[in-house]
Amino acid sequence: MSAFVDARTLAAGTVLKPDIAIVGGGPAGISLALALAATKLDILLLESGSMNLDPAVQDMYAGSQSGDDYASLDAGRLRTLGGGTNHWGGWCRPLDASDFEKRDWVPHSGWPFPRTALDPYYPRAQALVEAGPWIYDQGDRLASAKAPMLPLGHGGLYTSWFQFSKMRGDVLPTRFGVRYEADIKAAATIKPLLNANVTAIRLTPDARRVDRLDVATLTGLRFTVKPRHVVLAAGGMENARLLLASNDVMKAGVGNQNDMVGRFFGDNPIPRDVATLVVFSGKRGPYYGNNLNMGNGAIMRAVFAPTAAFARSRHIMGSLTTMEHPVELDETGKAAVITAAIALGVDASNARAFSVGCGMELMPDPDRRLTLTGEKDALGLPRLKLHMRVTDDDFARYRLTLAELGRQLLASGAGLLRLNCSHREEWLKNMDWGHHHLGTVRMHSNPKQGVVDGDGKVHGLANLHVAGSAVFPTYGASNPTLNLLALTLRLADHLKRIAA
Amino acid sequence: MNRRALLAGLAAAGGALAAGLYRFTDLFVKHYPPTAHDDLLEELGDRDQAARLGAAVDNAPDAKALAARLRTSLQGDLATAVQADIAAGRLTEVKGWLLPQTVVLLSALAAKS
Repeated sequence: MSAFVDARTLAAGTVLKPDIAIVGGGPAGISLALALAATKLDILLLESGSMNLDPAVQDMYAGSQSGDDYASLDAGRLRTLGGGTNHWGGWCRPLDASDFEKRDWVPHSGWPFPRTALDPYYPRAQALVEAGPWIYDQGDRLASAKAPMLPLGHGGLYTSWFQFSKMRGDVLPTRFGVRYEADIKAAATIKPLLNANVTAIRLTPDARRVDRLDVATLTGLRFTVKPRHVVLAAGGMENARLLLASNDVMKAGVGNQNDMVGRFFGDNPIPRDVATLVVFSGKRGPYYGNNLNMGNGAIMRAVFAPTAAFARSRHIMGSLTTMEHPVELDETGKAAVITAAIALGVDASNARAFSVGCGMELMPDPDRRLTLTGEKDALGLPRLKLHMRVTDDDFARYRLTLAELGRQLLASGAGLLRLNCSHREEWLKNMDWGHHHLGTVRMHSNPKQGVVDGDGKVHGLANLHVAGSAVFPTYGASNPTLNLLALTLRLADHLKRIAA
Repeated sequence: MNRRALLAGLAAAGGALAAGLYRFTDLFVKHYPPTAHDDLLEELGDRDQAARLGAAVDNAPDAKALAARLRTSLQGDLATAVQADIAAGRLTEVKGWLLPQTVVLLSALAAKS
């Protein structure tokens, strides 16, 4: 059993020599440590924060921005054990097979492996997030037994399903630091070190291996970790920051010999009230607007997703469209509903309208990127600057998806859709973000197009790997946690092979 | 006049009154001034609502041009034309509302008639 160790209590100049050092105690770091716990490998889990949020620690996340409006860099992250799972919404959905494929209309798309490479790991990832049985593909059947689904005419969208993480009882969702504290402590081979901030990745002079990690506490203590292997699991922003800031041997930063680190920053935009969806019958199953307990340990919610064939034919990006709260119609809206319903031969006397939201996938963009600034945090690490960019083309592609949903509603005689956003200002007016930090240490088998290879190993370095959504080259519209966990479990198997 | 004749007379008068109200007032059904496109506008179940929708159509042609276009496209009944529009993706936005093209053209015609 290993109790949590407060790094501030170590002696200055301490040198720790684990088999594997995991930098970051978020969902990826914790899951990786637990996946390796059954091996004989000594695992050092380095977490910058502790069990509770400390404003001084959190401040190290602060940074600056340019370009389009985006959440402040310290807003969507939590520098404490469990990381982002301390404030996540628990939305889970596996990426689609098409998310892994090279899409001709999406530059820089394509993972080094297909979705089938992650399939064996999804059940364990699902267990880690406590989202109940794996029944993403059974939502239609389960939902229909509770209330009729909204019929969609044949076309480019289909009803798909989210499942939700739950901690226990009705408490949503799983907070990894709290939920797995006991498991971490119970693992003899895991040494969890809190308040331990990695400030530099030191390479051997030939730049072929990581030699050591410089670690510091906010109390001024500095010590060294000399691991056989290092895994960065500090999140989509901090992984890039550490690599870029570690520039004593590789002048552009570790793994940045091809100027790829920090580029392709991604997130899922969540513009609100993008459309108004009228249901002619006025009847909407409860699983459209809320997360519904299906009675078998799974909490589910229906969304509308594009088929791979539709995406291919119309060159659209990933999206998941949700029905939200009821809204009132203006006189033109009422006239549209009455006139359309009469033309379709359906009764709309009880029609109800609902706001529509979505999660979108952005086109990969090398200029949407993180760079270092001259400003430094309390431990001397350069702060980040994000250049954010969302193009009109991103919105236009999603608008095509919404239009197809509207067409399918008319085809089935079930309803009618209003597109609420035509201009950029309208899309941005109610813009929210998933705070899913993606793509900055992207995965590609070609070192000129990616920072890590298909195993998550940094190109050119024998013992440095990266875990988490930072390595996603593209990412669809599914929330990343379940998917990054599956990828992390795959990385664990890889590490078992090479580090044993 | 016996009772039977009285009742028959009252029924006939009532019937005539109802027919008159139906024909010459908007009490039972809305009447519109005759137009050259009534054969098309008859397809609309609620002409007032269609006209309200049609008034929101941007850059609609004049009634004559709309009618000519509808006479070409609306060969069968409205339901068939609407389903053909939907299947072919011929949808038109009216203040954001995605509607079958034929419905929009008819609504615009109602607004201009």
